[in-house]
Amino acid sequence: MYTIELNSVRKSYDQFVAVDNLSFNIEQGAVFGLLGPNGAGKTSTIRMMIGITAPDSGAIRMFGQPFHRPQLQRVGYLPEERGLYKKMKVLEQLVFLGELHGMSADNARQKAAEWCQKLEIAEKLQNKVEELSKGMQQKIQFIAALLHDPDFVIMDEPFFGLDPVNASLLKDVMLELKKQGKTILFSTHRMDQVEKLCDSICLINKGAAVLQGGLKQIKARYGKSNIQIQYDGNGAFLEGNPLVGSYNNYGNYVEVRLAPGADSQQLLKMATERSRINRFELMEPSLEEIFIEVVGKTDA
Amino acid sequence: MHNIFLIARREYLERIRTKSFLIMTILIPLMMAGFLLGPSFLMNPMSRGARHLVVVASRTQTAETIRHELTKAQEEQNKQIADSKKHSLKRTPETPSDLTLDVDTNTSAEERATLAKKVRDKQLDGVIWASDEALAEEKIPFITRDTSSFIQNASIGIGVDRALHREALKAKGLSDQEIDKVLKRLDVDPQNPAGAGTGDPQVTFIVSFIMVMILYMSVLLYGINVMRAVLDEKTSRIMEVMLSVSRPNEMMAGKILGVGAVGLTQIGIWITTAVVMMGGNLVASGGQLKGIITWQMLAAFAVYYLLGFALYSTFYAAIGAMVNSEQEAQQLQFLAVLPLAASLGIMFNVIQYPNSTIAVWASIFPLTSPLIMFSRIAVQIPSPWQIGLSIVVMIATIAGMVLLCGRIYRVGILMYGKKPTLPEIVKWLRYA
Repeated sequence: MYTIELNSVRKSYDQFVAVDNLSFNIEQGAVFGLLGPNGAGKTSTIRMMIGITAPDSGAIRMFGQPFHRPQLQRVGYLPEERGLYKKMKVLEQLVFLGELHGMSADNARQKAAEWCQKLEIAEKLQNKVEELSKGMQQKIQFIAALLHDPDFVIMDEPFFGLDPVNASLLKDVMLELKKQGKTILFSTHRMDQVEKLCDSICLINKGAAVLQGGLKQIKARYGKSNIQIQYDGNGAFLEGNPLVGSYNNYGNYVEVRLAPGADSQQLLKMATERSRINRFELMEPSLEEIFIEVVGKTDA
Repeated sequence: MHNIFLIARREYLERIRTKSFLIMTILIPLMMAGFLLGPSFLMNPMSRGARHLVVVASRTQTAETIRHELTKAQEEQNKQIADSKKHSLKRTPETPSDLTLDVDTNTSAEERATLAKKVRDKQLDGVIWASDEALAEEKIPFITRDTSSFIQNASIGIGVDRALHREALKAKGLSDQEIDKVLKRLDVDPQNPAGAGTGDPQVTFIVSFIMVMILYMSVLLYGINVMRAVLDEKTSRIMEVMLSVSRPNEMMAGKILGVGAVGLTQIGIWITTAVVMMGGNLVASGGQLKGIITWQMLAAFAVYYLLGFALYSTFYAAIGAMVNSEQEAQQLQFLAVLPLAASLGIMFNVIQYPNSTIAVWASIFPLTSPLIMFSRIAVQIPSPWQIGLSIVVMIATIAGMVLLCGRIYRVGILMYGKKPTLPEIVKWLRYA
């Protein structure tokens, strides 16, 4: 079963087309990455999924049924624009948001305490939000999105502005949710961050999908054409070599992109003849490289 | 519905716990009392204590008659003050005052200059110059330092006038009793066709004016609070989370109800305090209250206060939804205040002519009807269809405005940091 299905969804504002004929499905229990540069239409897509705006055309189905608002009680949403009621106490705020998601006040209070314990901010439950540091406010927002135990979690730029400790804490929480069988949608322009977490992705650019599918299949399709080489001595073998498409020298190592049809073993042989090789590793292309390649093609 | 309740409760609790709520609850009645009682206390001619006047006339008889009339008028006034002390509702001078009148028959120019100097030097408070020339010209000079205190001067004018009438009638050979009968003042008692009296028209006017002012002030005060509540959501950027769990209409309705409940709580505190503090007085003046503040008026106040507040709140909510900061909102606020000020402007006319065409239409037009229909009901109950129509029109407007604000609010989140133009707002409404 799919948690959410988008079918040829389109949204335009005046002349500007924010989302253009976008279709994708997210399997129940999957971690899905909605990726793309700033202004690609990620947030516009999410806003349609949760009923803040309605698509101009196309259809959205959630939990196997056409979209209707009561379904949103099973959705947890962390928007890119973060905000909390500043004058409210942490606990009151969480209980209020929990009740809006259909929880009873007692249940919300109990769950809020549990989550704050887990994220190490239990002592701040009675503080006003405005008294908390930015990092703590972020944690409160994560809790607000997850408090009602949603089946579908939508996170728009979740790692934005997080320090490494909190980012790793959040990542662990996400993995735990995944284990529980929750469906998670990440939306971000920082592709390196979700690469480790996602099962499948949809890359969008200028409102349209440019690449989508399982992460492993996509990477396999783009092949292992990158090689990292660490060597002592002369790197001249790279210069004017017909096997080398392009390369980047990072000082400690060189990243080489093979010319189309070139054999990596041939390059290794050539390199050992001229230099002392410490490391020679075939690399998967990063999502970012794939994205740049795909977008470069579509733009051209 | 559940969401509306949750949102309203949050809004209510957050506001009622603030220090400013406490301060306003205490400060506003103090300020109101200051505005209402201060000027009347300061301006009251009778609170100035003793006055010393001189009546100058060629004939002693004329001067004595003037003295007699003025002294009698003062005595009557002092008696009235003493009576009204038992009733707290009528605003009459607090202290009776003494009036000393001397008689002088020297009408020479020198005497006039001497007396004028005494007035200037504050040895005297006034000189009534009823010389033969002045009587012939039918214009009696009253030399006083307070030439602009028209109430005091008018009462002296009436006294002198009555004295001269008395003299003329006496010259015709009428006896004192006959003259008293002729000069006795009559009261006109206005009655509606059913034959019922309207009580003291002055008091009716004052009571309805005070109630209208409460309505006006609270609509103004809490309307702005609704605007802030909506803006708050935008500046704290929580609205996107809120919109993912509730409909924009629910949020608008919840906010208006929540802030409105704060307003009602505050007014409730004021009324309870007032009743507790003046409980004894209210019972004592019950006779006077009866027929002035009727149950119809209280019911009308409740209905039109609630509807008026809800209506204006939707306008303030719309302003809050359109703008990004309070500074921007201030430029648009006059739009909401304008109809309120306009209704206050025509209210005096409406109280005098409650069935004029403008009064009827202004009491049905939704933006003016809360104040105008209420003042009409206070003065004279209009026909039921007019009352019914005004209520239906207001409810329909409120419902329409809530929907409209919800849309503006929802689309407003697509535009941060930019003040929308009117065409843009119209466009937003189509997007939603």
